Amino acid sequence: MTNGSMIRKASAFNILNHWVMAASFLILAVSGFGFLFHLEQLNAVFGSFNKMKVIHNWTGVVFAASLFFTIFSYLPVSLKLTSDDIAWFFGAGGYFSKKAKMPPQDELNAGQKLYYIVILLAGIGLAVSGFIIWLMPGIRKWILLSFLAHNIIFDLLLIAVVLHIYLATLANPGTFRIMVYGTVPVEWARKRHAKWVQKMGF
Amino acid sequence: MARKSLIISPELCIGCRGCQTACKEWNQLSGVKTKNTGTVENPPDLTPNLYNKIRYVEIPSDANPVRWLFVSQRCMHCDDAGCMKICPAPGALFKTKEGAVAFNKDKCIGCKLCVAGCPFDVPRYDEKDKVSKCHMCSDRISEGLAPACAKVCPTGAISYGDRDSMMGKTKGTGYQKLYGEADLGGLGVLYAFKDAPKVYGMEEHPAIPEAVVFWHKVLKPLAYWGIGGAVAASLLHYIAFGPKKDGEVK
Repeated sequence: MTNGSMIRKASAFNILNHWVMAASFLILAVSGFGFLFHLEQLNAVFGSFNKMKVIHNWTGVVFAASLFFTIFSYLPVSLKLTSDDIAWFFGAGGYFSKKAKMPPQDELNAGQKLYYIVILLAGIGLAVSGFIIWLMPGIRKWILLSFLAHNIIFDLLLIAVVLHIYLATLANPGTFRIMVYGTVPVEWARKRHAKWVQKMGF
Repeated sequence: MARKSLIISPELCIGCRGCQTACKEWNQLSGVKTKNTGTVENPPDLTPNLYNKIRYVEIPSDANPVRWLFVSQRCMHCDDAGCMKICPAPGALFKTKEGAVAFNKDKCIGCKLCVAGCPFDVPRYDEKDKVSKCHMCSDRISEGLAPACAKVCPTGAISYGDRDSMMGKTKGTGYQKLYGEADLGGLGVLYAFKDAPKVYGMEEHPAIPEAVVFWHKVLKPLAYWGIGGAVAASLLHYIAFGPKKDGEVK
Protein backbone atom coordinates (compact mmCIF):
# COMPACT_ATOMS: atom_id res chain seq x y z
CA MET A 1 0.00 0.00 0.00
CA THR A 2 2.98 2.22 0.43
CA ASN A 3 3.71 2.74 -3.23
CA GLY A 4 0.01 2.75 -4.02
CA SER A 5 0.09 0.08 -6.70
CA MET A 6 -3.01 -2.03 -6.12
CA ILE A 7 -4.67 -4.86 -7.99
CA ARG A 8 -8.35 -5.77 -7.85
CA LYS A 9 -8.86 -9.31 -6.49
CA ALA A 10 -12.63 -9.29 -5.91
CA SER A 11 -15.42 -7.36 -7.59
CA ALA A 12 -18.00 -5.40 -5.62
CA PHE A 13 -20.53 -8.08 -6.55
CA ASN A 14 -18.29 -10.86 -5.25
CA ILE A 15 -17.82 -9.02 -1.96
CA LEU A 16 -21.53 -8.37 -1.52
CA ASN A 17 -22.38 -11.96 -2.45
CA HIS A 18 -19.78 -13.28 -0.01
CA TRP A 19 -21.32 -11.39 2.88
CA VAL A 20 -24.87 -12.33 1.92
CA MET A 21 -23.70 -15.94 1.96
CA ALA A 22 -21.87 -15.49 5.26
CA ALA A 23 -24.85 -13.83 6.93
CA SER A 24 -27.28 -16.44 5.65
CA PHE A 25 -24.97 -19.24 6.77
CA LEU A 26 -24.73 -17.70 10.23
CA ILE A 27 -28.53 -17.47 10.54
CA LEU A 28 -28.92 -21.02 9.24
CA ALA A 29 -26.24 -22.41 11.53
CA VAL A 30 -27.54 -20.67 14.65
CA SER A 31 -31.14 -21.75 14.02
CA GLY A 32 -29.83 -25.19 13.07
CA PHE A 33 -28.15 -25.44 16.46
CA GLY A 34 -31.44 -24.35 17.98
CA PHE A 35 -33.23 -27.25 16.31
CA LEU A 36 -30.50 -29.75 17.21
CA PHE A 37 -30.29 -28.88 20.88
CA HIS A 38 -33.72 -27.33 21.58
CA LEU A 39 -32.19 -23.96 22.44
CA GLU A 40 -35.25 -22.12 23.67
CA GLN A 41 -33.05 -19.13 24.51
CA LEU A 42 -33.11 -18.41 20.77
CA ASN A 43 -36.78 -17.46 21.06
CA ALA A 44 -35.41 -14.09 22.20
CA VAL A 45 -33.96 -13.71 18.69
CA PHE A 46 -36.39 -15.55 16.43
CA GLY A 47 -39.61 -15.22 18.43
CA SER A 48 -40.65 -18.86 18.44
CA PHE A 49 -39.62 -22.20 16.97
CA ASN A 50 -42.43 -21.82 14.44
CA LYS A 51 -40.97 -18.53 13.22
CA MET A 52 -37.44 -19.91 13.41
CA LYS A 53 -38.44 -22.72 11.05
CA VAL A 54 -39.87 -20.26 8.51
CA ILE A 55 -36.75 -18.08 8.77
CA HIS A 56 -34.48 -21.14 8.48
CA ASN A 57 -36.24 -22.34 5.33
CA TRP A 58 -36.29 -19.00 3.54
CA THR A 59 -32.75 -18.12 4.57
CA GLY A 60 -31.86 -21.42 2.92
CA VAL A 61 -33.21 -19.99 -0.33
CA VAL A 62 -30.96 -16.93 0.07
CA PHE A 63 -27.99 -19.20 0.82
CA ALA A 64 -28.68 -21.34 -2.25
CA ALA A 65 -28.97 -18.23 -4.44
CA SER A 66 -25.70 -16.77 -3.18
CA LEU A 67 -24.04 -20.14 -3.71
CA PHE A 68 -25.27 -20.14 -7.29
CA PHE A 69 -23.76 -16.70 -7.91
CA THR A 70 -20.31 -17.88 -6.80
CA ILE A 71 -20.11 -20.39 -9.63
CA PHE A 72 -19.17 -17.93 -12.39
CA SER A 73 -16.34 -16.30 -10.46
CA TYR A 74 -14.74 -19.24 -8.73
CA LEU A 75 -15.57 -22.53 -10.43
CA PRO A 76 -13.55 -22.23 -13.67
CA VAL A 77 -10.30 -21.41 -11.88
CA SER A 78 -10.98 -23.97 -9.15
CA LEU A 79 -11.29 -26.77 -11.68
CA LYS A 80 -7.84 -26.01 -13.08
CA LEU A 81 -5.46 -28.52 -11.55
CA THR A 82 -1.80 -28.02 -12.46
CA SER A 83 1.47 -29.53 -11.26
CA ASP A 84 1.94 -26.34 -9.24
CA ASP A 85 -1.23 -27.13 -7.34
CA ILE A 86 -0.03 -30.64 -6.58
CA ALA A 87 3.29 -29.23 -5.39
CA TRP A 88 1.41 -26.74 -3.22
CA PHE A 89 -0.45 -29.59 -1.53
CA PHE A 90 2.78 -31.57 -1.02
CA GLY A 91 4.22 -28.52 0.71
CA ALA A 92 0.99 -28.16 2.73
CA GLY A 93 0.76 -24.61 1.42
CA GLY A 94 3.77 -23.60 3.50
CA TYR A 95 1.60 -23.55 6.61
CA PHE A 96 3.85 -25.88 8.57
CA SER A 97 7.25 -24.49 7.66
CA LYS A 98 8.57 -20.96 7.45
CA LYS A 99 11.25 -22.03 4.97
CA ALA A 100 8.98 -23.67 2.44
CA LYS A 101 8.81 -21.97 -0.93
CA MET A 102 5.50 -22.47 -2.72
CA PRO A 103 5.25 -22.79 -6.51
CA PRO A 104 3.53 -19.89 -8.33
CA GLN A 105 -0.26 -19.99 -7.95
CA ASP A 106 -3.32 -18.99 -9.95
CA GLU A 107 -5.91 -16.43 -8.89
CA LEU A 108 -6.81 -18.98 -6.22
CA ASN A 109 -4.09 -21.10 -4.67
CA ALA A 110 -4.51 -24.87 -4.53
CA GLY A 111 -5.96 -24.79 -1.03
CA GLN A 112 -8.46 -22.10 -2.00
CA LYS A 113 -9.48 -24.13 -5.03
CA LEU A 114 -10.09 -27.16 -2.86
CA TYR A 115 -12.02 -25.06 -0.37
CA TYR A 116 -14.24 -23.68 -3.09
CA ILE A 117 -15.00 -27.15 -4.49
CA VAL A 118 -15.83 -28.39 -0.98
CA ILE A 119 -18.10 -25.41 -0.31
CA LEU A 120 -19.84 -25.76 -3.65
CA LEU A 121 -20.51 -29.50 -3.26
CA ALA A 122 -21.42 -29.22 0.41
CA GLY A 123 -23.65 -26.23 -0.29
CA ILE A 124 -25.47 -28.05 -3.07
CA GLY A 125 -25.92 -31.09 -0.83
CA LEU A 126 -27.16 -28.92 2.02
CA ALA A 127 -29.59 -27.03 -0.20
CA VAL A 128 -30.96 -30.09 -1.98
CA SER A 129 -31.42 -32.11 1.23
CA GLY A 130 -32.96 -29.08 2.91
CA PHE A 131 -35.45 -28.55 0.13
CA ILE A 132 -36.40 -32.24 0.19
CA ILE A 133 -37.10 -32.11 3.94
CA TRP A 134 -39.04 -28.87 3.47
CA LEU A 135 -41.05 -29.64 0.38
CA MET A 136 -41.29 -33.43 0.01
CA PRO A 137 -42.10 -34.74 3.47
CA GLY A 138 -44.09 -37.71 2.15
CA ILE A 139 -41.33 -40.13 1.26
CA ARG A 140 -39.82 -41.63 4.38
CA LYS A 141 -36.63 -42.99 2.79
CA TRP A 142 -35.84 -39.67 1.14
CA ILE A 143 -36.48 -37.76 4.33
CA LEU A 144 -34.20 -39.97 6.40
CA LEU A 145 -31.48 -39.82 3.74
CA SER A 146 -31.81 -36.04 3.41
CA PHE A 147 -31.89 -35.64 7.18
CA LEU A 148 -28.66 -37.62 7.42
CA ALA A 149 -27.01 -35.70 4.58
CA HIS A 150 -28.15 -32.33 5.95
CA ASN A 151 -26.61 -33.07 9.33
CA ILE A 152 -23.36 -34.64 8.07
CA ILE A 153 -22.74 -31.67 5.75
CA PHE A 154 -23.66 -29.25 8.51
CA ASP A 155 -20.95 -30.71 10.76
CA LEU A 156 -18.46 -30.63 7.91
CA LEU A 157 -19.24 -27.03 7.02
CA LEU A 158 -18.95 -25.84 10.61
CA ILE A 159 -15.37 -27.11 10.66
CA ALA A 160 -14.64 -25.77 7.17
CA VAL A 161 -16.00 -22.31 7.99
CA VAL A 162 -14.00 -22.00 11.21
CA LEU A 163 -10.80 -22.89 9.33
CA HIS A 164 -11.80 -20.52 6.52
CA ILE A 165 -12.20 -17.64 8.98
CA TYR A 166 -8.84 -18.42 10.61
CA LEU A 167 -7.01 -18.69 7.27
CA ALA A 168 -8.58 -15.50 5.93
CA THR A 169 -7.78 -13.40 9.00
CA LEU A 170 -5.21 -14.34 11.64
CA ALA A 171 -3.21 -16.82 9.59
CA ASN A 172 -2.76 -14.62 6.53
CA PRO A 173 -2.46 -10.93 7.32
CA GLY A 174 -3.50 -8.81 4.35
CA THR A 175 -6.10 -11.28 3.05
CA PHE A 176 -9.21 -10.04 4.81
CA ARG A 177 -9.19 -6.70 2.99
CA ILE A 178 -10.07 -8.56 -0.22
CA MET A 179 -13.56 -9.10 1.15
CA VAL A 180 -13.77 -5.45 2.29
CA TYR A 181 -12.09 -3.33 -0.39
CA GLY A 182 -11.55 -5.95 -3.06
CA THR A 183 -8.01 -4.79 -3.73
CA VAL A 184 -4.56 -5.87 -2.58
CA PRO A 185 -1.07 -4.46 -3.18
CA VAL A 186 0.43 -5.84 -6.36
CA GLU A 187 3.56 -6.99 -4.57
CA TRP A 188 1.47 -8.80 -1.96
CA ALA A 189 -0.43 -10.56 -4.71
CA ARG A 190 2.70 -11.40 -6.71
CA LYS A 191 4.09 -13.43 -3.80
CA ARG A 192 0.89 -15.44 -3.49
CA HIS A 193 -0.68 -15.55 -6.92
CA ALA A 194 2.25 -15.10 -9.27
CA LYS A 195 0.62 -16.70 -12.32
CA TRP A 196 -2.47 -14.57 -11.99
CA VAL A 197 -0.60 -11.29 -11.44
CA GLN A 198 1.50 -12.01 -14.54
CA LYS A 199 -1.61 -12.80 -16.56
CA MET A 200 -3.15 -9.51 -15.42
CA GLY A 201 -0.17 -7.72 -16.96
CA PHE A 202 1.70 -6.55 -13.90
CA MET B 1 -45.78 -42.50 39.28
CA ALA B 2 -46.03 -46.05 37.98
CA ARG B 3 -45.95 -46.23 34.23
CA LYS B 4 -49.35 -46.88 32.67
CA SER B 5 -49.98 -48.92 29.59
CA LEU B 6 -52.59 -50.47 27.37
CA ILE B 7 -52.55 -54.18 26.76
CA ILE B 8 -54.21 -55.33 23.58
CA SER B 9 -55.30 -58.93 23.11
CA PRO B 10 -56.31 -59.43 19.46
CA GLU B 11 -57.79 -62.84 20.21
CA LEU B 12 -60.38 -61.19 22.45
CA CYS B 13 -61.32 -58.56 19.89
CA ILE B 14 -64.60 -59.04 18.05
CA GLY B 15 -63.96 -56.18 15.63
CA CYS B 16 -66.86 -54.01 16.79
CA ARG B 17 -64.68 -50.92 16.39
CA GLY B 18 -66.34 -49.27 19.36
CA CYS B 19 -62.81 -48.09 20.29
CA GLN B 20 -62.50 -46.20 17.00
CA THR B 21 -65.79 -44.47 17.67
CA ALA B 22 -65.15 -43.74 21.34
CA CYS B 23 -61.75 -42.31 20.44
CA LYS B 24 -63.31 -39.97 17.92
CA GLU B 25 -65.98 -38.93 20.41
CA TRP B 26 -63.63 -38.14 23.26
CA ASN B 27 -61.04 -36.42 21.08
CA GLN B 28 -63.70 -34.64 18.99
CA LEU B 29 -62.37 -35.97 15.71
CA SER B 30 -64.71 -35.65 12.78
CA GLY B 31 -65.77 -38.65 10.75
CA VAL B 32 -64.96 -39.02 7.09
CA LYS B 33 -66.89 -40.57 4.27
CA THR B 34 -65.19 -43.82 3.30
CA LYS B 35 -65.55 -46.40 0.57
CA ASN B 36 -66.44 -50.04 0.92
CA THR B 37 -63.32 -51.87 -0.19
CA GLY B 38 -64.63 -55.28 0.78
CA THR B 39 -63.02 -55.41 4.21
CA VAL B 40 -64.04 -54.51 7.71
CA GLU B 41 -60.79 -52.51 7.91
CA ASN B 42 -62.21 -49.09 7.38
CA PRO B 43 -60.90 -46.41 7.05
CA PRO B 44 -57.93 -48.23 5.51
CA ASP B 45 -55.25 -46.26 7.37
CA LEU B 46 -54.67 -43.93 10.30
CA THR B 47 -55.50 -40.32 9.49
CA PRO B 48 -55.17 -37.04 11.42
CA ASN B 49 -58.75 -37.73 12.54
CA LEU B 50 -58.27 -41.41 13.29
CA TYR B 51 -55.93 -42.10 16.20
CA ASN B 52 -56.88 -45.73 16.60
CA LYS B 53 -57.80 -48.22 13.93
CA ILE B 54 -58.65 -51.90 13.89
CA ARG B 55 -56.42 -53.77 11.48
CA TYR B 56 -58.19 -56.79 10.05
CA VAL B 57 -56.16 -59.89 9.20
CA GLU B 58 -57.73 -63.01 7.73
CA ILE B 59 -55.68 -66.20 7.90
CA PRO B 60 -57.64 -69.15 6.59
CA SER B 61 -56.04 -72.57 7.02
CA ASP B 62 -57.24 -76.16 6.74
CA ALA B 63 -57.41 -76.54 10.49
CA ASN B 64 -59.17 -73.23 10.98
CA PRO B 65 -60.81 -71.87 7.87
CA VAL B 66 -62.17 -68.86 9.74
CA ARG B 67 -59.30 -67.28 11.60
CA TRP B 68 -59.91 -63.57 11.88
CA LEU B 69 -57.58 -61.28 13.74
CA PHE B 70 -58.46 -57.74 14.80
CA VAL B 71 -55.51 -55.67 15.94
CA SER B 72 -55.82 -52.17 17.34
CA GLN B 73 -53.20 -50.05 15.60
CA ARG B 74 -52.11 -46.72 17.04
CA CYS B 75 -49.22 -44.89 18.71
CA MET B 76 -47.25 -47.41 20.78
CA HIS B 77 -46.04 -44.82 23.32
CA CYS B 78 -42.41 -45.97 23.20
CA ASP B 79 -40.23 -45.27 26.21
CA ASP B 80 -37.39 -44.41 23.81
CA ALA B 81 -39.54 -42.65 21.22
CA GLY B 82 -38.09 -42.03 17.75
CA CYS B 83 -40.53 -39.18 17.11
CA MET B 84 -39.37 -37.33 20.22
CA LYS B 85 -35.73 -38.00 19.43
CA ILE B 86 -35.90 -36.46 15.96
CA CYS B 87 -38.35 -33.64 16.77
CA PRO B 88 -36.59 -30.24 16.52
CA ALA B 89 -39.25 -28.30 18.43
CA PRO B 90 -39.09 -28.48 22.24
CA GLY B 91 -42.42 -29.38 23.80
CA ALA B 92 -44.13 -30.35 20.56
CA LEU B 93 -43.97 -34.01 21.57
CA PHE B 94 -43.65 -34.78 25.25
CA LYS B 95 -44.00 -37.54 27.83
CA THR B 96 -46.80 -37.36 30.35
CA LYS B 97 -46.15 -38.54 33.88
CA GLU B 98 -48.03 -41.73 33.02
CA GLY B 99 -45.53 -42.44 30.22
CA ALA B 100 -47.77 -41.52 27.28
CA VAL B 101 -46.26 -39.68 24.29
CA ALA B 102 -48.51 -36.64 23.92
CA PHE B 103 -48.27 -33.59 21.67
CA ASN B 104 -48.82 -29.85 21.74
CA LYS B 105 -49.98 -28.50 18.39
CA ASP B 106 -48.99 -24.94 19.30
CA LYS B 107 -45.36 -26.01 19.68
CA CYS B 108 -45.34 -28.24 16.57
CA ILE B 109 -43.51 -26.54 13.69
CA GLY B 110 -44.92 -28.85 11.03
CA CYS B 111 -41.60 -30.25 9.78
CA LYS B 112 -42.96 -33.82 9.68
CA LEU B 113 -39.65 -35.35 10.79
CA CYS B 114 -41.51 -37.36 13.44
CA VAL B 115 -43.17 -39.31 10.64
CA ALA B 116 -39.74 -40.44 9.46
CA GLY B 117 -38.51 -41.12 13.00
CA CYS B 118 -41.42 -43.33 14.07
CA PRO B 119 -40.76 -47.09 13.92
CA PHE B 120 -44.50 -47.78 13.55
CA ASP B 121 -45.55 -45.23 10.91
CA VAL B 122 -48.01 -43.58 13.27
CA PRO B 123 -47.89 -39.74 13.30
CA ARG B 124 -50.17 -37.98 10.83
CA TYR B 125 -50.50 -34.31 9.96
CA ASP B 126 -53.72 -32.32 10.05
CA GLU B 127 -54.84 -29.67 7.57
CA LYS B 128 -52.84 -27.04 9.50
CA ASP B 129 -49.68 -29.16 9.19
CA LYS B 130 -49.62 -30.06 12.86
CA VAL B 131 -48.87 -33.47 14.34
CA SER B 132 -51.85 -35.65 15.21
CA LYS B 133 -51.89 -39.09 16.83
CA CYS B 134 -53.05 -41.16 19.80
CA HIS B 135 -51.97 -39.55 23.08
CA MET B 136 -53.45 -42.29 25.25
CA CYS B 137 -56.23 -39.83 26.15
CA SER B 138 -53.69 -37.91 28.23
CA ASP B 139 -56.49 -35.62 29.43
CA ARG B 140 -58.38 -38.64 30.81
CA ILE B 141 -55.52 -40.63 32.32
CA SER B 142 -54.22 -37.55 34.14
CA GLU B 143 -57.56 -37.61 35.99
CA GLY B 144 -57.28 -41.30 36.76
CA LEU B 145 -59.69 -42.40 34.02
CA ALA B 146 -59.04 -45.09 31.44
CA PRO B 147 -58.50 -44.00 27.81
CA ALA B 148 -61.74 -43.89 25.82
CA CYS B 149 -60.86 -47.00 23.77
CA ALA B 150 -60.19 -49.13 26.86
CA LYS B 151 -63.23 -47.73 28.65
CA VAL B 152 -65.59 -48.71 25.87
CA CYS B 153 -64.11 -52.08 24.86
CA PRO B 154 -66.78 -54.67 25.63
CA THR B 155 -64.54 -57.76 25.64
CA GLY B 156 -61.43 -56.65 27.45
CA ALA B 157 -59.37 -56.77 24.26
CA ILE B 158 -58.05 -53.34 25.25
CA SER B 159 -57.24 -52.97 28.92
CA TYR B 160 -55.53 -50.16 30.77
CA GLY B 161 -53.63 -49.92 34.04
CA ASP B 162 -50.23 -50.02 35.76
CA ARG B 163 -47.78 -51.45 33.27
CA ASP B 164 -45.98 -53.86 35.58
CA SER B 165 -48.96 -55.36 37.34
CA MET B 166 -50.93 -55.67 34.09
CA MET B 167 -48.03 -57.41 32.42
CA GLY B 168 -47.87 -59.89 35.28
CA LYS B 169 -51.58 -60.49 35.13
CA THR B 170 -51.67 -61.03 31.37
CA LYS B 171 -48.69 -63.36 31.46
CA GLY B 172 -50.51 -65.35 34.12
CA THR B 173 -53.18 -66.18 31.58
CA GLY B 174 -50.70 -68.10 29.45
CA TYR B 175 -48.47 -65.67 27.54
CA GLN B 176 -44.73 -66.23 27.75
CA LYS B 177 -43.82 -62.88 26.33
CA LEU B 178 -45.74 -59.77 25.41
CA TYR B 179 -44.97 -57.79 22.29
CA GLY B 180 -43.21 -54.59 23.28
CA GLU B 181 -42.00 -55.66 26.73
CA ALA B 182 -38.46 -54.53 25.99
CA ASP B 183 -38.52 -53.01 22.50
CA LEU B 184 -37.64 -49.31 22.33
CA GLY B 185 -37.12 -49.17 26.06
CA GLY B 186 -40.47 -50.86 26.57
CA LEU B 187 -43.65 -49.90 24.76
CA GLY B 188 -46.60 -48.25 26.44
CA VAL B 189 -48.92 -50.34 24.29
CA LEU B 190 -48.32 -54.08 24.68
CA TYR B 191 -49.75 -56.84 22.55
CA ALA B 192 -50.65 -60.28 23.83
CA PHE B 193 -49.90 -62.20 20.64
CA LYS B 194 -50.43 -65.95 20.38
CA ASP B 195 -48.47 -66.13 17.14
CA ALA B 196 -45.52 -64.43 15.45
CA PRO B 197 -45.92 -60.62 15.41
CA LYS B 198 -45.88 -60.50 11.62
CA VAL B 199 -49.07 -62.58 11.55
CA TYR B 200 -50.72 -59.61 13.24
CA GLY B 201 -49.07 -57.12 10.91
CA MET B 202 -46.38 -56.00 13.35
CA GLU B 203 -42.63 -56.01 12.91
CA GLU B 204 -40.66 -58.57 14.90
CA HIS B 205 -38.03 -56.12 16.11
CA PRO B 206 -39.23 -52.54 15.84
CA ALA B 207 -36.40 -50.00 16.08
CA ILE B 208 -35.72 -46.31 15.60
CA PRO B 209 -34.25 -45.80 12.09
CA GLU B 210 -30.46 -46.18 12.14
CA ALA B 211 -30.08 -42.76 10.53
CA VAL B 212 -31.80 -41.16 13.53
CA VAL B 213 -29.71 -43.10 16.05
CA PHE B 214 -26.46 -42.22 14.22
CA TRP B 215 -27.48 -38.58 14.07
CA HIS B 216 -28.32 -38.53 17.78
CA LYS B 217 -25.18 -40.34 18.96
CA VAL B 218 -22.56 -39.05 16.52
CA LEU B 219 -23.63 -36.10 14.39
CA LYS B 220 -25.15 -34.02 17.18
CA PRO B 221 -22.07 -34.11 19.44
CA LEU B 222 -19.85 -33.63 16.38
CA ALA B 223 -21.53 -30.28 15.74
CA TYR B 224 -20.00 -28.67 18.82
CA TRP B 225 -16.88 -30.85 19.02
CA GLY B 226 -16.23 -29.96 15.37
CA ILE B 227 -16.39 -26.22 16.01
CA GLY B 228 -14.35 -26.57 19.20
CA GLY B 229 -11.79 -28.77 17.48
CA ALA B 230 -11.42 -26.42 14.51
CA VAL B 231 -11.00 -23.38 16.79
CA ALA B 232 -8.47 -25.26 18.94
CA ALA B 233 -6.55 -26.45 15.88
CA SER B 234 -6.45 -22.89 14.51
CA LEU B 235 -5.16 -21.46 17.80
CA LEU B 236 -2.62 -24.24 18.10
CA HIS B 237 -1.39 -23.55 14.60
CA TYR B 238 -1.18 -19.86 15.37
CA ILE B 239 0.93 -20.52 18.43
CA ALA B 240 3.13 -23.22 16.89
CA PHE B 241 3.70 -21.76 13.43
CA GLY B 242 2.31 -18.24 13.52
CA PRO B 243 0.82 -16.21 10.70
CA LYS B 244 2.27 -15.89 7.23
CA LYS B 245 3.71 -12.41 7.66
CA ASP B 246 4.16 -10.63 4.39
CA GLY B 247 7.91 -10.38 4.82
CA GLU B 248 8.20 -14.12 5.33
CA VAL B 249 6.24 -15.17 2.24
CA LYS B 250 8.55 -16.23 -0.55
